[in-house]
Amino acid sequence: MPSRRTVLQAGGATVVTALGPPGPAAAEAPAREIALKVNGEVHKVAVEPRVTLLDALRERMNLTGAKKGCDRGECGACTVLADGRRIKSCLTLAVMREGEEITTIEGLASGDRLHPVQEAFIRQDAFQCGMCTPGQIMSAVAVIQEGHAGSPDEIREWMSGNLCRCACYPNIVAAVRDAAR
Amino acid sequence: MKQIAGLPIDRIDGRAKVTGAAKYTADTDIPGVLHGVLVLSTIARGKITSIDTGRAKSAPGVVDVFTHLNTPRLTLLPFFPYTRGFIPMQDEIINHDGQPVAIVVAQTLEQAQYASTLVDVRYSQEVPKAVLGQVAGTEYVPDPALGEPNEFTRGDVTSAAADVKIDANYSSPTHHHNPIETSASLAVWQDGKLTAYETAQGIQFSRGVLAYSLGVQPTDVRVRTAYLGGGFGSKSVVLPHTLLTAAIARVLGQPLKVVLTRAAMYTSTGHRSEFRQRVALGATKDGKLTSLIQTTTQQASRTDEVTYNPTRSARMLYAVPNLQVRQQVAALDRPGAGFTRSPETAAHFGLETAMDELAYAVGVDPLELRLRNYAEVDPETRQPFTSRYLRDCYRMAANAFGWSRRSMKPGSTRDGQEFIGWGMATEAHSSLAFPSSALVQMNVDGTVLAQSSTQEIGTGTLTVMTQAVAEIMGTTVDAVTFQLGDSDLPAASWSAASATVKSVVAALDKAGKAVRDNVIKLAVADARSPLSGLAVDQVEAEHGHLFATGDRSRRDSYLDVMSRHGNVVATTAQTPSTPGYTTGAVFVEVRIDPRSGRVRVTRAVGAYDPGRVMNRKTARSQVIGGITWGIGFALMEQTVVDQRTARIVNPNLSGYLIPVNADVPDIQALFVDKPDPGSPALGARGFGEVPITGVPAAIGNAVFHATGRRIRDLPITQDKLL
Repeated sequence: MPSRRTVLQAGGATVVTALGPPGPAAAEAPAREIALKVNGEVHKVAVEPRVTLLDALRERMNLTGAKKGCDRGECGACTVLADGRRIKSCLTLAVMREGEEITTIEGLASGDRLHPVQEAFIRQDAFQCGMCTPGQIMSAVAVIQEGHAGSPDEIREWMSGNLCRCACYPNIVAAVRDAAR
Repeated sequence: MKQIAGLPIDRIDGRAKVTGAAKYTADTDIPGVLHGVLVLSTIARGKITSIDTGRAKSAPGVVDVFTHLNTPRLTLLPFFPYTRGFIPMQDEIINHDGQPVAIVVAQTLEQAQYASTLVDVRYSQEVPKAVLGQVAGTEYVPDPALGEPNEFTRGDVTSAAADVKIDANYSSPTHHHNPIETSASLAVWQDGKLTAYETAQGIQFSRGVLAYSLGVQPTDVRVRTAYLGGGFGSKSVVLPHTLLTAAIARVLGQPLKVVLTRAAMYTSTGHRSEFRQRVALGATKDGKLTSLIQTTTQQASRTDEVTYNPTRSARMLYAVPNLQVRQQVAALDRPGAGFTRSPETAAHFGLETAMDELAYAVGVDPLELRLRNYAEVDPETRQPFTSRYLRDCYRMAANAFGWSRRSMKPGSTRDGQEFIGWGMATEAHSSLAFPSSALVQMNVDGTVLAQSSTQEIGTGTLTVMTQAVAEIMGTTVDAVTFQLGDSDLPAASWSAASATVKSVVAALDKAGKAVRDNVIKLAVADARSPLSGLAVDQVEAEHGHLFATGDRSRRDSYLDVMSRHGNVVATTAQTPSTPGYTTGAVFVEVRIDPRSGRVRVTRAVGAYDPGRVMNRKTARSQVIGGITWGIGFALMEQTVVDQRTARIVNPNLSGYLIPVNADVPDIQALFVDKPDPGSPALGARGFGEVPITGVPAAIGNAVFHATGRRIRDLPITQDKLL
């Protein structure tokens, strides 16, 4: 559940981008080297302020597990954890996330041992094409952590920010229930 | 033979998909790749009068900007599988909103995105036609396309007697596919040869059209689609951005990646056409159909007049002696339409709603009405079906749903404030097969390699094919490796039209049986084998072992036979096109809040006859997906087109509503699961498109049952019930 503080932070990001020219990306500003801690590992990457966390992961670190389905926070395929909270990585800038612990789908398993949510998704056939799956799984991990996996209806509600066009929703609910036990 | 096909095994690519290891097209890591961003037209009809790329070209990181003035010339394939009818960026003409007018290429994605906003395009504009309502009276019946006539007559509808008549108009809006993966093209040229990483439901189609349009040999083009992040028809035919990406990468001499934005998907990859139809039924007073007229109108564009939404249900579903089907189009200044998951659904909605109206007109239960009109033989050929268990589907689904407890009277069931309605419809879709080939090879260690250039679109192709090969060969799933998604593999057709299982399994069956028999021949001809001297048909294969029929103590194994032989044994086989038709039944419950008009689907039960079920787990998921698409079709999905500009108002996932988790109830999926002896694919028929087809009508029928209001114009939004 977003706190007042995180909402204010997100609002700050909106102000920053709104100052730039219109269009999908702001004009070029000097790149700066930042240290992003992703899946427990520090990555030093040179990014301009306009680079989203999603594009930093995908295009600069070759961490392509987080997907770009809409690039405007509607589909949830880019969901990652930042200090344990689920965020849409297309709606935040990489430079804002320095110093936070970012977890992507690539960092969820421990070696060969899958995370219980990953196992449950396979067992319950909670995906078809797999494109929304990294986001669904990251969201599911957070939903359980948040205490929002108490009933099927609660899971349906709190997982509704992640779209699945193959429409595996009942299986996603079953997988989250399984993993939450 | 041990049954392996049908078992609900977990997806073989499951681990790759839950760990982020599965690489989709846009994930492909090519060192030094350049990024291309499309600039799209902001008018729907007219001409480019000037295009200034100066500011974009001088922006940091920009390599070049391509427009119709400097884009390499491409050869237009004027027919399927390139259905657009023109290639953009070849001249100044604008045929629709969102047509590519420039591609900006830069070192980074952000540089290309920003520079794309600096391209200054000026147009001379004509007034466009945006929706069917603006072109009433211009409808016409186009020439047959894709081998199907657009007019069809059986008997004589004009002289058919009828005690009861239903005659009504139905409509549904434009829909967009919205796979979560947007389309992407990544072109790499080396030594005059192209490798195209594509989001393609038909990689051989991409290969063929790329070669034709670029003027190179098909053998110099390789198309790869390792995983497809959903398609639903949006990636079924070959699209302009694929050709443009390859052409520009060739002149640049560097790899180029173009990933469509979500908004670009609304004008670049086709859509389900806006659809209008008239359905007129004649029947006896006890509900037996005497005539059926169905006249449909869908959108053509100025460059394409294919009728993508066939009226097959009218022809195939019920025993009706007199029939007239007419499929019309009317041209709009819109992008060409296209195939969209279960194209027969649009016309099916009209027919299955009219059947419910007839049921009420004659006072017969809607399920009973369908049984009274049951097609015992194929209505087109009058030949028996090779197998049809639709009656079983009706019974299974009705029993599971509790249909017999339904009171016929509309508005008769309440729960507190809410109105409850129960509705049903037949589900049905063509399930074709297209020429496809496959290689099966037994390795020296007794494992099996199978290959076919089909695609893993999400339906479970990789898993189901692996199971099928294991069963055909009599070995274990673990011993089989199935490869797909590479056009250098034996040619297969597209992942569309519910055709994959029937097309590819048939080819695998033919090749696999030949390999199995050849390996058995090696065993029985070898004095060292316990099976020595037996006839080939006296040997059975199971779990990787070979047994003498009736004497299981005489056994050998693939491993031993092959290691003695020392060489691989391989066969490639091809199978032809075959027609097919798959049916089922769906029952839904809706709850309606009379104060807000909000409709919620609270229960759904579907039962199906897909011949043999290939994997109960993945087949069930197809049902869930289809029924959910039906919920979207009935209650929320619509692309809104501005009538003045012919531009799309909601090209995004916040304005175009698709079902979310909270919209979908528990769904029960039932299967008859009896092999179709007419199928060359282990008794399986095509299935994927069936479960959506009846749902829009079933929901509309349930809304009628709940409220007495018959909504004939989809989607059933809240305002229509207030």
